[in-house]
Amino acid sequence: MKLQINGVVAEVPTGWQNETLLSVLREQIGLVGTKYGCGEGLCGACTVLIDGVAQRSCLLEVRTLASKAITTIEGLANGGKLHSVQQAWIDEAVPQCGYCQAGQIMSTVALLKVIRKPTDAQIDEALAGNLCRCGTHQRIRCAVRRVAEIV
Amino acid sequence: MNRRQFAAITSGLIVTFTTGCALPVIPKRPKPEYADGLSWIRFAEGRYTLFIPRVEMGQNILTALKQIACEELTIEWHLLNVKIASTADIVRVRATVGSESIKDFALPLAQACATLREAILMGLTQKRLEAKALPVSELRSFKANGKFVGRTVVIEQGNAIVTGQPLYVGDVRRKGMVYGRVLRANASPELESTLVSFNEAAAKAVPGFVSIVRSRLLLLANSEGIGIVASTPGALDRIELALVPVWKTVGAFNQIEIDRSIDIDRRFDLSPSLMKKVHSDSVDKNSQWDVDLRFDIPLAAHAPIQPRASVAEFSNDGVLQIWVGTQDVFYQRDVISKRMGIDEASIIVHGTRVGGAFGGKTICTVELEAAVLAKEAQMPVKVQWTRAQEFQFGFHRPPSSHRVRVSLSEGRLNTWWHGFSSSHILFTNAIVPAWLQKITNLVGDDGVARGASLLYNAKVRRTEFDLVRIPIFTGPWRGLGAGANGLVIESAIDECALFAKTDPIEFRLQHLDDPRLIRVLKRVAVTSQWGFKAAAEALPNATIIRGRGVACGVYKGMSYVAVVADVEMLKESGAIRVTKIWCVHDCGIVINPDQVKAQCEGNLVWGISMVFSDLLPVGKSKVAASTFGDSPIPLFAEIPPMEIDLIDAGEPPSGAGETAIVAAGAAIANAIRAATGIRVQRFPIKASSFGRQVA
Repeated sequence: MKLQINGVVAEVPTGWQNETLLSVLREQIGLVGTKYGCGEGLCGACTVLIDGVAQRSCLLEVRTLASKAITTIEGLANGGKLHSVQQAWIDEAVPQCGYCQAGQIMSTVALLKVIRKPTDAQIDEALAGNLCRCGTHQRIRCAVRRVAEIV
Repeated sequence: MNRRQFAAITSGLIVTFTTGCALPVIPKRPKPEYADGLSWIRFAEGRYTLFIPRVEMGQNILTALKQIACEELTIEWHLLNVKIASTADIVRVRATVGSESIKDFALPLAQACATLREAILMGLTQKRLEAKALPVSELRSFKANGKFVGRTVVIEQGNAIVTGQPLYVGDVRRKGMVYGRVLRANASPELESTLVSFNEAAAKAVPGFVSIVRSRLLLLANSEGIGIVASTPGALDRIELALVPVWKTVGAFNQIEIDRSIDIDRRFDLSPSLMKKVHSDSVDKNSQWDVDLRFDIPLAAHAPIQPRASVAEFSNDGVLQIWVGTQDVFYQRDVISKRMGIDEASIIVHGTRVGGAFGGKTICTVELEAAVLAKEAQMPVKVQWTRAQEFQFGFHRPPSSHRVRVSLSEGRLNTWWHGFSSSHILFTNAIVPAWLQKITNLVGDDGVARGASLLYNAKVRRTEFDLVRIPIFTGPWRGLGAGANGLVIESAIDECALFAKTDPIEFRLQHLDDPRLIRVLKRVAVTSQWGFKAAAEALPNATIIRGRGVACGVYKGMSYVAVVADVEMLKESGAIRVTKIWCVHDCGIVINPDQVKAQCEGNLVWGISMVFSDLLPVGKSKVAASTFGDSPIPLFAEIPPMEIDLIDAGEPPSGAGETAIVAAGAAIANAIRAATGIRVQRFPIKASSFGRQVA
């Protein structure tokens, strides 16, 4: 079977077709930016976009995704130019340990597609499924606002 | 064999023994010296490389040490390449713990860089250099208004994080790599558990099966393990299901027994004088107490978003390469060398960026599992712990139980008596067996005692504690004992101020001598406009009640913090939330102000978590949590705006990683007291319905 990931077609070998999208991305294809955090869809570290919608790749069976457009953290930048959300994350010095941030960024990209200028309450709601233990929440909010202001 | 030749000394425990039988591997803690610094910095072909002697786990220490190196070398930012060190790159350094990376490593790094700079100026290019112990006054990186030091710079690895580049241990992929997991009884590893039976044939029939590994080296504490190896991660789940291992576990316990063994009032019933003293004045136990409070703080998980993982690979010549995501790469080498009987020189441990550790990734667990599976399977193996394994087989913040009794006279502290009990922290039961803890108990446990010393003047002071081994593993957690002790002491002091009918900042100032603590307290009064809004706002017909609280503290005698928090409660639902936090922080000379602020923000969020979330339930002889649903951490909506103010008055740099946690929780608890009149004594509280619970 084939997957369409970040605009590129990837072949999934037979032995990997019973895996989750997360494990195929990370282990078979080598797109390791998407993280394993809980395997239960509760932490958001594995968030990717499926046809533009934020979803938990640890819960998705890869065999159900043949006709979908999958976007991962590696697919956000355009050539050498960072996506505005990625740039805002750097400008606000968001990451501490950094492990949850790919998921936070993907959820933010999905949010901003639907709501161009989210309120803090809308940010909190959209990111409620993305946990961070380091305590970067305030900076994430600043980064989201920063993107909303410039885009 | 004589296991019991020990000498206890006041500054720590020296353990000597005639044979190396069942003793655990104790982490070595060498103090970094100038000469060590030279193994961290190298210059070749016009470029500089800095092997970071610390573990990067979110404190952005790569960035801070790079700032010091660039300042001292007087070179452009892009000329210095920063690398995370392996055990082969640098001389042994101690674990990255205790908020000491700047305090203890900045100076030798700066001295080494200054030596290198001078040597290059003199035209030397091919020489091993002896580092000169230049005094701070001659170093460029300890001065104000540097080009890099004291400034905000783009964080190292920031671009790699936001673009998803491989940085963490789980991101390591090796040619021919397979996936492993070690299955154990679903019980605390403190209990002895053994494998009775398993369905080998069914496991072998699962597509992707590679091998089953039986090895006594897979024993984790008292928990036997059986290894499974598969060609994909998902196959591990299917093999585990098919294998149906049956376990026999000896012994049983539940939450009530742990609570009972920790219960401070019961400890006092057992013995009127507890095991260890922090302040040892004698008190008249029949005094009239003006404040008499019991506090209980439960077991809690570190809950980093990255569960631990490791990748191990043996080369044909028997050299083991192992990738780890822990706070001490050298300790991993020590344990694996001893347990597997591999010469240290044949083990290379590669450090990686750690996805959150908070004191929890200081022991060797998944790393040994990966090494054993790689050896037996004769293939490179990745072992990624599940979230459930992380809860079950890691260690946790110990529960603690406190009784604080205070008498005051004329508005001043007269007698302060704080007794508490906790399970172990530095002498963690995760590596120290019960028989050895009986001996370490003679020394005490500086981790449990941390932050217990009273900062306030009182005529009579008694602080004492018991160490209680519980059948769940406990150990270092952000701030160690200082988190819980700060929460308790600062809550009790707040109650004393109320009793004395004195403003809580004023009351603290009346009892303090330390000028740096006084300074942060006075500053937070200004930044939060304390006098303006100190009283709970009782608006007529209000649907919301508000309150404001303050707390302060000192971490390890080196860093100072004061925190003010505002809370509000909806009268109808009883839901309570923090609406704003102010923090003033003094860790001396600040290398990277923005990242010190980030550490403060993190600590404040941990304070919120201590008050509203942190609780790891126990049941049926184990940690009764396998997902974040069972042991939640704060969500975005719980995090208020935070204002951080840093004081840098030129004192030597100390640490920021665990300072604000000593005051954050108490400031919130004190705000809750101001708003509702209720003193929180059992943590955590349920934010969504607090008012209803107490109504």
